[in-house]
Amino acid sequence: MGGGLLTLVRRALVAIGAGIAVAAAIRVRGSGGVPPQTGGWRELSGSDLD
Amino acid sequence: MTSTEPSRVVLFGAGATGARVARQLRSSTHVDCVEIRDPDTEAAARLIDSLGDGAERGVGRDIDSSVSAVVIASPAGTQTALARRAIHAGVPVITTSNKTAEVRRLLALDQEARFGSIPVIVGAGFMPGLTCLLAKHGARQFDEVEEIHVAKVGTGGPACARQHHRALSSRGVDWRDGRWTERSGGSGRELAWFPDPVGGRDCYRAGLPDALLLVPEFAGVQRVTARQAATRRDRLTSPLPMLWRPHPEGGIGAIRVELRGRVGLERRVDVFGAIERPAVGAGAMAAAVTLHVLSGRLPAGAYGLAGVDDTTALLHTLAARGVKPVRFEGMSTFV
Repeated sequence: MGGGLLTLVRRALVAIGAGIAVAAAIRVRGSGGVPPQTGGWRELSGSDLD
Repeated sequence: MTSTEPSRVVLFGAGATGARVARQLRSSTHVDCVEIRDPDTEAAARLIDSLGDGAERGVGRDIDSSVSAVVIASPAGTQTALARRAIHAGVPVITTSNKTAEVRRLLALDQEARFGSIPVIVGAGFMPGLTCLLAKHGARQFDEVEEIHVAKVGTGGPACARQHHRALSSRGVDWRDGRWTERSGGSGRELAWFPDPVGGRDCYRAGLPDALLLVPEFAGVQRVTARQAATRRDRLTSPLPMLWRPHPEGGIGAIRVELRGRVGLERRVDVFGAIERPAVGAGAMAAAVTLHVLSGRLPAGAYGLAGVDDTTALLHTLAARGVKPVRFEGMSTFV
């Protein structure tokens, strides 16, 4: 009985730890992105400020 | 400027942003005296010494009706009480808060401001502030604006850095499909491209007030979101108190405003931005707005800079103060 309870607690702790590790990895890592392939930044002037 | 009367501006806050506001106002010919008030007497004295003639020390929170305008660049969370005092004295107010709860409180002063026939400008900084102005300016080229997405990189002085840290662990307020939604700070990662040399940065939801300022000014807008750039360390440590004392001033920063909407039958995306040290950008923006308030060009009420009709004039004034926004060109529109 006592051994079964210990096993249950150990498994629960392992599951919680694994969940925390996966959540932390997802939160911290994220994924990449693609930079703009064309175009560029231009100062507002002329018709932009009419 | 139309007013020829001597103008005295009371400035609350002698920090990184306040110092820039004071310098910008003193360099203008339209402000005769800037009265600087800050509980940090040393910071206020240093700033006054650096400004020379036309700057003087003020104490307390009382405002009398002889003041032409009040600029509040004190830490976020301290601005509403000061704004209320200015309204009661019948003095126009320019605030720079970037705290969501405070921006709500400031916008709620609208009736009092209208009753007193004075403008109360809410969030006249880099973001919010210039972001709202660029959104309004860019929207003129659309028949209908459906989405507005703003983002920022960087912090100004220590108070701004602390607010940035707090914001990342606070609930973000977005406008989605015609209603408000709250999402966890630090979620919603999006890679946003800022003007060079800042480039691409991962941005996340945070407790940012921009949607509160933008939504009332864009009838029919479907989505409004605000994000701030953060590093992995920022995100991991955001629920904790700041582990390190913030720098006296952050480095180069940037803002980005993306508008999505319709022009005729065509759907279109326009992206605007600006690059500057955030305290410098915020100081220039607040000073430009102050000059417009002094010249009576802004209407009564409590609103953000998306509520300004003559965006071109304000952008010209801002450019004269050294901050020149940019626009991304070459992006294809889509049908």
